[in-house]
Amino acid sequence: MKNNPDAIIIGAGVIGVSTALELTSAGLKVLILDRGSVASGTTSAGEGNILVSDKEPGPELDLALRSRNAWFELDEAIGGGFELEAKCGVVVARTELGVGKLRRLTTAQRQHGITAHDICSDELHELEPNLSPSIEYGTYYPQDAQCQPMLATARMLSSIKNRGGEFISGATVTGILVQGGRVSGVVTNRGRFSAPVVINAAGTWAGPIAELAGSYLPIAPRRGFILVSVPTRPLIFHKVYDADYVANVASNNSDLQTSAVVEGTKSGTILIGASRERVGFRTGIDFTVLRILAQQAIELFPILSDIQLLRAYRGFRPYAPDHLPVIGEDPGIRGLWHNAGHEGAGIGLAPGSAQLLSDGILGKSSFMSSDAFSPSRFTAELAK
Amino acid sequence: MITFTFNGVELFAISGQSVSAALLTNNERITRYTRINNSPRGLFCGIGVCFDCLLIIDGKPNQRGCITMVQSGMTVEIQK
Amino acid sequence: MIINHQILVLGGGPAGLNAAKYAANAGADVGLIDSGVRLGGQYWRHTGDISVDHAMHHNFDQGSLLIDAVLTNPQIKVYLECQIWSVSIVNDSIVLRSLFQIFQTQKLIIATGAYDRSIPFPGWDIPGVITAGAAQALLKGSGVIAGKNIVVAGTGPFLLPVAAGISRHGGNIVGVLEAAYKTSWVKGITTLIRSPFKIVEGFGYIKTLRKNKVELRFGHAVTAAHAGADGLLESVTVANIDRNFNVKSTYSLKCDVAAISWGFTPDTSIAGALDVRQRVNHDGSVIIEVDDDQRAIQSNALIEIYAAGESTGIGGSELALAEGAIAGLAAAHDPGISNQLRKLRRRAQKFAHTLSKVYPVASGWQSWLTSETLICRCEEVTYQTVREAAEELGAIDARGAKLMTRCGMGMCQGRICGRSISDLFDGNQVDRIQFASRPIITPITLGELAQEGLL
Ligand SMILES: Cc1cc2nc3c(=O)[nH]c(=O)nc-3n(C[C@H](O)[C@H](O)[C@H](O)COP(=O)(O)OP(=O)(O)OC[C@H]3O[C@@H](n4cnc5c(N)ncnc54)[C@H](O)[C@@H]3O)c2cc1C
Ligand SMILES: Cc1cc2nc3c(=O)[nH]c(=O)nc-3n(C[C@H](O)[C@H](O)[C@H](O)COP(=O)(O)OP(=O)(O)OC[C@H]3O[C@@H](n4cnc5c(N)ncnc54)[C@H](O)[C@@H]3O)c2cc1C
Ligand code: FES
Repeated sequence: MKNNPDAIIIGAGVIGVSTALELTSAGLKVLILDRGSVASGTTSAGEGNILVSDKEPGPELDLALRSRNAWFELDEAIGGGFELEAKCGVVVARTELGVGKLRRLTTAQRQHGITAHDICSDELHELEPNLSPSIEYGTYYPQDAQCQPMLATARMLSSIKNRGGEFISGATVTGILVQGGRVSGVVTNRGRFSAPVVINAAGTWAGPIAELAGSYLPIAPRRGFILVSVPTRPLIFHKVYDADYVANVASNNSDLQTSAVVEGTKSGTILIGASRERVGFRTGIDFTVLRILAQQAIELFPILSDIQLLRAYRGFRPYAPDHLPVIGEDPGIRGLWHNAGHEGAGIGLAPGSAQLLSDGILGKSSFMSSDAFSPSRFTAELAK
Repeated sequence: MITFTFNGVELFAISGQSVSAALLTNNERITRYTRINNSPRGLFCGIGVCFDCLLIIDGKPNQRGCITMVQSGMTVEIQK
Repeated sequence: MIINHQILVLGGGPAGLNAAKYAANAGADVGLIDSGVRLGGQYWRHTGDISVDHAMHHNFDQGSLLIDAVLTNPQIKVYLECQIWSVSIVNDSIVLRSLFQIFQTQKLIIATGAYDRSIPFPGWDIPGVITAGAAQALLKGSGVIAGKNIVVAGTGPFLLPVAAGISRHGGNIVGVLEAAYKTSWVKGITTLIRSPFKIVEGFGYIKTLRKNKVELRFGHAVTAAHAGADGLLESVTVANIDRNFNVKSTYSLKCDVAAISWGFTPDTSIAGALDVRQRVNHDGSVIIEVDDDQRAIQSNALIEIYAAGESTGIGGSELALAEGAIAGLAAAHDPGISNQLRKLRRRAQKFAHTLSKVYPVASGWQSWLTSETLICRCEEVTYQTVREAAEELGAIDARGAKLMTRCGMGMCQGRICGRSISDLFDGNQVDRIQFASRPIITPITLGELAQEGLL
């Protein structure tokens, strides 16, 4: 089969594997290639937040809503095993400005299908008893959920394999075969593979893959750090973050931005994420970033001051200049499809993006228009 | 000789000893119960590496008994 | 408060002590940092009570002389009870952070030593199963004998001083079980005799054991531990094993302590954060790679990082001393690193290499595991869970297994289980190195992390 799959997927991250799963369900034979093993890229750094609360009205919100529900359908379909949980989000505002912004956001969000309950001090502290008493305003988002991204990806992959799909780990794509404007396969260190459809799901490395085909995708890394505490008794019960986070996510400022998202996990640890910086693939740990994250988390939950930090890790989110994912066929090369650039929301957006792309490949109409995510939006930029 | 308490009981120790050593001298081998299986644990690596000898010392959880020196009047408790 | 030194030495064991001494004698201003309450590291761990210390050690004279020389040297400032929890490179300087101080330097000597290597087996989490190093640390550091009836087991020359020490101080050793076969062990002893090192020590230990009628069995290992009703160790299963560590026959041995060691694992926790090159050594452990001047390999030309002692490969105290001396001189840019010193180091290295071949850990230990055996003690991850990650979820290396099962994610950050997980997956170099990197070396509270002024 390795030599005649219907589609080759480059990248076994959450995006590539959920796309492959969607195609498998549609009856296609898939071959997934990754230079590492399953979910060895950014997916393993993801916290697993499946958020609708942090999206402003627009195409990404529609995608997020569909994806959120698709995650729960997927859980049923493949038999779970990836810690999916309707954890619910609590967004708080600490300044008057923040309260105003948050209320305007929730009003707009509600018109687009998001359930958002504006709550006052008592309700807030009932939901999160350890929240700083000085915080009095917030919004409760029952649709926010979470999963364990690594397990989710691994479980999807085994479901694909059970249905005849194939995965080759340690296969680095070094070339993309294009004949007469049509893709015909890929070249790897483990041999050549041909297929009429090739999907670029290489995440933060999707740019170089596009380049191999002579195309162009302006996807760059946005570094993020996450703090992990030692296991504790349950202290935090939802995903809690400051309303400023929404502003950060959509920001174009390349300087460091932090706005702590705090949550307790099943394993008893508390996760504090995540910073956002555009510093290329810079390695090493920047302790000033960790310090700011810790300060912000303590401002939300003073009790965290005495909790020990166990680990810190980092990842590189794949982002496009307009902060929207790239989902669709390459404008220049037929049969080459991109599904990449999901920035800090790739876990949450994975199943919806997979469906959108798969529908595109199969020529079916989908749950929403993919125009806003089209790779052709960069060709104008390229011409400059 | 100094005294410290372990789970409320007063015990003797020699100053300069680690908490783990002082507990062993008093025949106390269990320092904590694990989070998931609730199984007993005690000293293992003896040099601060394994985090198995965790105790609540003077109210602070997750303290390694093997690298903490016992002090007069210290309160030491099993960590659960 | 930021503290600057021309040279910072992290670790006050044999390697770090000698590095500090030689660098200071070459005129450098040196800061020596150790988390312990006293200098000496593992080898010269002591109680501080002179009469006790000389009785506990075969070779404490040398240690106390060196420690005194360091403590009285005006060029050296010693920082004790100073646990470094993180290091990084900030604006082309090396920054080390403890709870109360921030140290800054252009030249760092890493001398962080090693800890016992453990391999998992059923019951290894029962209180009473400890490492041989733990038994030694209790004796040397607190003057305490670990239990009433003690089994010493595992492999390596280290089992002898541990057993002899306990025996000499009145402890009851119910057996010393060396996994190596006698024929190869004799080879090892011949190496000991031929080498300029530890001749006296080696013979002394055997004599002590003989005198106290302690049985030394070869080709034997503890393959399971059993708890009594009180949850404490009551007995161990001892197996007669073949050269591949497969079990041939077993019997039971009553004991309240089993002190088990399979050699040592170098502590390279900080190497990842400093981006210095590491590699997998001939014995399978991850080490910091150094050149002939003990200089580590990294890309920032404005800083210099050296490493000495066990963190560059397991070799014992004599090698640590030689490496420390060279690192100290090289960091101080002293041109006088003598050939004699380099020769001494080469001989000690060869000696260590030969010894490591005498005491291999064969893969047959994996056959001792049952599905319920914990692989990761901290997160209580069983062998079965790890196997499922491999078979059902496609984990092909330690990193994958960790992210899928949480093995290696607990409080010790994989220090204890990391090596074994990599061995279970037959992991490659990159995977082994990644698993040994711990940017947060020990936990600190978020409140401490949040303090202003932290670089
Ligand atoms: C700190 C942090 C926290 C985050 N938290 C969240 C969160 O809570 N919720 C959320 O939704 N998102 C989160 N994200 C974002 C999310 O992790 C990413 O958007 C998502 O994982 C991207 O998935 P992907 O499959 O596109 O990329 P990846 O997982 O990186 O997959 C791409 C794969 O392509 C492979 N590859 C690359 N080049 C080649 C080649 N030449 N040949 C073969 N294979 C190749 C790589 O090995 C890799 O496995 C977070 C990100 C970070 C960094
Ligand atoms: C428990 C144990 C007992 C041993 N007993 C003996 C023995 O009796 N006889 C024998 O021949 N060999 C013994 N060894 C072998 C030992 O490794 C060598 O003999 C020798 O001590 C190695 O010297 P070193 O300088 O490389 O490291 P070490 O002696 O291990 O010294 C390293 C020092 O660095 C310090 N350190 C590490 N990280 C940090 C940090 N982040 N912050 C602050 N300080 C830090 C440690 O506290 C330690 O004092 C023992 C090993 C262990 C693990
Ligand atoms: S016994 Fe290992 S940390 Fe104390």
